[in-house]
Amino acid sequence: MNMANARQPAVIARGVGQIGRNFLREVGSLFWFIVHTFEETLERIQQGRVPFHATSFFRHTERAGVDSVPLVGLVSFFLGLTMALLTGYQLQRFGTERLIPGLVAIGFTRELGPLLTGIMMAARIGAAFTAELGTMQVTEEVEAIEAMGIGPLRFLVAPRLLALFFLMPCLSTVSNVAAIFASSLICKAYFSIAFPYFFDLVKDALLIRDIITGILKSFLFGLLIGGIACYRGLTVKGGAAGVGTATTSSVVTAITAVIGFDTLYNIVYTTFYPT
Amino acid sequence: MQFEEKTVLDGFTLKVEPEERLVVMGQTGSGKSTILRLILGTLRPNSGSIFFKQFEITRLGRRKLQRVRRHIGMVYQYSALLSSRNVRDNMALPLEELTDKSRAEIDKIVDEKLDLVGMKDAKDLLPAELSGGMRKRVSIARALVLEPELVLFDEPSAGLDPVIASVIDELIISLSEKSKVTSITVTHEMDSAFRIGTRMAMLYQGKIIEQAEPEEFKQSENPVVAQFLSGSTEGPILEDSQDAITKK
Repeated sequence: MNMANARQPAVIARGVGQIGRNFLREVGSLFWFIVHTFEETLERIQQGRVPFHATSFFRHTERAGVDSVPLVGLVSFFLGLTMALLTGYQLQRFGTERLIPGLVAIGFTRELGPLLTGIMMAARIGAAFTAELGTMQVTEEVEAIEAMGIGPLRFLVAPRLLALFFLMPCLSTVSNVAAIFASSLICKAYFSIAFPYFFDLVKDALLIRDIITGILKSFLFGLLIGGIACYRGLTVKGGAAGVGTATTSSVVTAITAVIGFDTLYNIVYTTFYPT
Repeated sequence: MQFEEKTVLDGFTLKVEPEERLVVMGQTGSGKSTILRLILGTLRPNSGSIFFKQFEITRLGRRKLQRVRRHIGMVYQYSALLSSRNVRDNMALPLEELTDKSRAEIDKIVDEKLDLVGMKDAKDLLPAELSGGMRKRVSIARALVLEPELVLFDEPSAGLDPVIASVIDELIISLSEKSKVTSITVTHEMDSAFRIGTRMAMLYQGKIIEQAEPEEFKQSENPVVAQFLSGSTEGPILEDSQDAITKK
C-alpha cells in the first residue's frame, strides 16, 4: 500500500509528461500542416497557375460567411441586449449609464465580437469542414486526388482555410454592429439615451486600435479554426466512427484554441501596448 | 513495410515488364493493396526501394513524386470518385489541374474515354446516381485521361455480379491491348485474375512465393498456391493463420 502511494507522484508526473508531449506533437503537426498548405499553394502560383478553383473558394466563403450571418447576427444581438441591460442597471445606481455605449462597443470590438464569432464558426463551419474532409478521407477520395498528382493541401485545404481567414473579420464586424445596435435599443428603451447621443458616445469611446485589435484577432482565429478543422478531417482514421470522433475533437480543440489564443493575444497586446 | 507492430511486406521483390498485365493474388489483408500504395508513393516503406522507369519512388521529393504520379493511373476498389462532382467533372479534374488543355480539348478527351468504357451517357450524373459497375468504369476512364504508362487496379471486380465483373475484365484487357498500357491488378477473385493476367504472382506472408504465366501458375506445386487456387480448407494457409492466432 505504501509502495503504491510512493509511486503515485511518479505515475502522475509520467501522465502529465505524456499529455504534454502529445499536446506539443499536435501543435507541431498543425503548424507544419498550415505551413505545407501555404507552401503548396505558393508553389502553384509560382508555376503561373491558379492554386484552386475560384468557384471552390466562393462556395466556401458563401457557406462560411454569408450563411453564417443570421446566426452570428442574432446571437450577438441578444448578447448586446443582455449586456446593455445588465450593465445598465448597475451603472444606473451611480448615475453613469451613459457609459453603456462605450462599454458595449469596446467590449465587443476588442473582445466579444471576435471571440463569439470564433466559437460559433468553430462549431458551425469547423465541424462541417472536418466531417466533409474526413468522409473524403475514409472513402479514399483524398488519396485518389493525391494519386493523380494533385496536391490535396492546396486543392482541398487552401480554399477552406482562406475562406475562413478572410471571412472571420467580416463576421466579427457583423457581430459588433448587431451587438451595438441591440444595446442602442436598450439604452433608448430603459435609460433614455437617444440614438444620436448613443452613437456619439460610441464614437467617443472607440479608438481605432480597438477596431484593429479585434480585426487582427479575427484573421488569426479564422486561420486557427480552418487549420484545426482541415487537419482533423485529413487525419481521420477508422471509418464513420472516426469521422464522428474527429468532428467532436475538431470542435472542442478549435473552441479551446480560440479562447486560449485570445487570452495569449490579450496578454501580449496589453504588455506591449498598455492602455 | 510495417504498420505499427505488424509487418505486412517483408523481403518482397517484384519486377513488372512493360505492356504486361501482372495479377497479384493473395489472401484478404495480405498486403496486396499496400503494394499499389507503395508504387504510387502514398505510403513509404520502412526500408527497400521501388523503381518506376528511372525514378526511385521511395527517394523522390513531393514535387517530383507528383510529376511521376501523372504517368500512373489508379483504379480504387470502391472507385473513389469525388462525390461532390459529376462524372464529367471527375474525369476532367486531372486534365484541368495538371495540363494546359482548353475546355474544348478536355471535353473531347472526356468524351473519348467515357466512350471507351461505354459511359458517355452518364456524363452529367453524380457518383451517387451510378451503380457499382458504372462507378468502376468511370474510375477506369478517369485513370486513363492522362494517358498513363502504368495502371494499377485494386480489386477491380470485387462486389460486382459475374456479368459486370467480366465486362470490367474485358475492358482492362482491351485497354491494355489498345493503349499498350502496363497494368498491375491485385485481386483474390480467381476467375477475374486468370482472365486478366499475362503473369500471375502469389503474395503470402509478405513475400511473393510464386510467379508464372497463368497456365503454369495453375499447375504450381507450391502447397500454398495449390490450396489458394482450390479454395480448400485443408492446407498450410489455415494452419499458418491458426499458428499466428495461437501465438497472439
